[in-house]
Amino acid sequence: MNIKEIQIPTFLKRIFNGRNTVISIPYLWLLFLFLFPFIIVLKISFAQPVLAMPPYTDLLKWGESWWPTIQASFDSYLFLFSDSLYIHAYLSSLKIAIISTILTLIIGYSIAYSVAKAPTQWRAILLMLIILPFWTSFLIRVYAWIGILKTEGLLNLALTTIGIIDKPLIIMNTDLAVYIGIVYSYLPFMILPLYANLEKMDMSLLEAAADLGCRPLKTFWTVTIPLSLPGILAGCFLVFIPVMGEFVIPDLLGGSETLMIGKVLWGEFFYNRDWPVASAVAIILLAILVVPIMFYQKSQEKAIS
Amino acid sequence: MTETTTTEPWLDSNQKPYIQIENVTKKFGDFTAIDNLSLDIYKNEFFSLLGPSGCGKTTLLRMLAGFERFTEGRVLVDGEDITEIPPHLRPINMMFQSYALFPHMTVEKNIAFGLKQDKMPENLINQRVEEMLELVELTDFAKRKPSQLSGGQSQRVALARSLAKQPKLLLLDEPLGALDKRLREQTQFELMDIQEKLEVTFVIVTHDQEEAMTVSSRIGVMDSGKLIQVATPTQIYEAPINREVADFIGDVNIFKGVYKGQDEKGTQLLSEDSKSIIYATQKVDVPVGNRIWFALRPEKLEITKKLPEVDCNILKGKIEDIGYGGSFSTYHVKLENGRQLTAIRANRERTAEHHLTWGDEVYLHWAPHSAVVLLS
Repeated sequence: MNIKEIQIPTFLKRIFNGRNTVISIPYLWLLFLFLFPFIIVLKISFAQPVLAMPPYTDLLKWGESWWPTIQASFDSYLFLFSDSLYIHAYLSSLKIAIISTILTLIIGYSIAYSVAKAPTQWRAILLMLIILPFWTSFLIRVYAWIGILKTEGLLNLALTTIGIIDKPLIIMNTDLAVYIGIVYSYLPFMILPLYANLEKMDMSLLEAAADLGCRPLKTFWTVTIPLSLPGILAGCFLVFIPVMGEFVIPDLLGGSETLMIGKVLWGEFFYNRDWPVASAVAIILLAILVVPIMFYQKSQEKAIS
Repeated sequence: MTETTTTEPWLDSNQKPYIQIENVTKKFGDFTAIDNLSLDIYKNEFFSLLGPSGCGKTTLLRMLAGFERFTEGRVLVDGEDITEIPPHLRPINMMFQSYALFPHMTVEKNIAFGLKQDKMPENLINQRVEEMLELVELTDFAKRKPSQLSGGQSQRVALARSLAKQPKLLLLDEPLGALDKRLREQTQFELMDIQEKLEVTFVIVTHDQEEAMTVSSRIGVMDSGKLIQVATPTQIYEAPINREVADFIGDVNIFKGVYKGQDEKGTQLLSEDSKSIIYATQKVDVPVGNRIWFALRPEKLEITKKLPEVDCNILKGKIEDIGYGGSFSTYHVKLENGRQLTAIRANRERTAEHHLTWGDEVYLHWAPHSAVVLLS
């Protein structure tokens, strides 16, 4: 008996070829782990809070008719704009994110530059030292800063012992502590893309600039900085975007007056149990971040071409 | 004699050298890259530093540009000591082997870069940039970025940029190394034209001896951080001072032997490659019995099937290999003692009427004045 070959329709063959399957993996990933959760959050943001489980109303109500009625409410959004706390939190987050990105850039650039200029046999070790703190949990590292910065902490102890100060500095629970924590935690994200860029920079370009009569400092501004721009942008976005929504560092190191949108978000979810407002906060945060993310995308495309 | 003084200033003791390199030494740790080197270069010269890789020629060039500090010695340019002057203040420009064009600037911005550092007024910069673009025939490419240029175009932008500031001395590090053979040969002549037109002193580093021969007024052959010979291309080729130079520049057949004295035909050499004494016209001043060498360029060896009608310098051998090069053919001839010599003959006839082929018994001979006598 002849076994009849099963004919797979050609259109199916065309859809499920190897190439499409491979390409589909990141798309499915984004679909299930980004787009679906986002739609859920978006849906909740249009609901009303209720004392129930889950603590919000359904978006669709099935009545007598064949189709459901939509019960969308913009109350959460209106509430965000009516209470100045939220606007302040957004602006404060933006300010903290911008200042700490600039600080991280200045410190990160000098570190990346010196590592890139270090003798080849040293570079791997220096990079290792930059990455090494990652082996310890992020939370533990932030907690360690409490031990350093608190009034009777290591820093104040050291400074008073040397005799530089006689009264301990109040750093803990201030914005300064938040900046220290953020800059410390996000520095590797700045250094690594900058290093990758600076390391492959053609040193003969700097020599050419000098040869053509350019002073070293001017060479840095007219040649090194413009050529490392892709690295600067990548580093800045890698720091700015997560810092904007940062919650742990302001919560642990900041004071009661340190206002960041991540902290507000947490409060809405866990203390107020107002999921719709919390979702609206998240959606607006995302909307604010989409702009820099789009800029980042554009700069990446440019760098590739 | 006035003619020779202008084209060959190094022969005239009244001429003042333009670049004076005095007892320069450069050490990297224990390694001596440049070993007590002195050299005078004259105005408008096209001077080549030639040598195998690692001989120190690029180090010397980078010292002139100011990228390497001197361990010892000094350099004067037009009478001014530049040894301690940082690179950005030297009246010297360099064309880099990698061209080192700024990738974020257009062609015209690249050329204008050096002029801007001098705070030249905008309109003069534009004028100069235009002149330079015309000189290298790239006017239409002014607005392009370096990534949009071919290798040859990049090379010309690099040249224009390094010439824009009218340097007293232009250093060129393997300027044609990245170009293909045809473009390289064409560019050699362009370089010479530009050098003549602008009257700038050129010092070029190259490992390509043909290139050095074509473009240079003089060549300095370097090895192990020292200058072995400094002379015109003709002198370097026809009168190398030792076997090393003879061997490095072009192909050469060297006969080792014992000096047997002089007679009316010239210097006598008893070599194991020949049964009888061989001759060179050039006279030497060493005791009889000393070891000396004859150097003979392949094109100066005549190759024939019939016994040539001359009274000396005849060697018998067998053709081992023939390399057909179009305009000439290279013959590898094995002597009776197993030694292999190289002879080159121009292919004057279209069809090989002389019928030299593999395995043929042939005679090699040369005129005594064609051979160079070497003492080391």
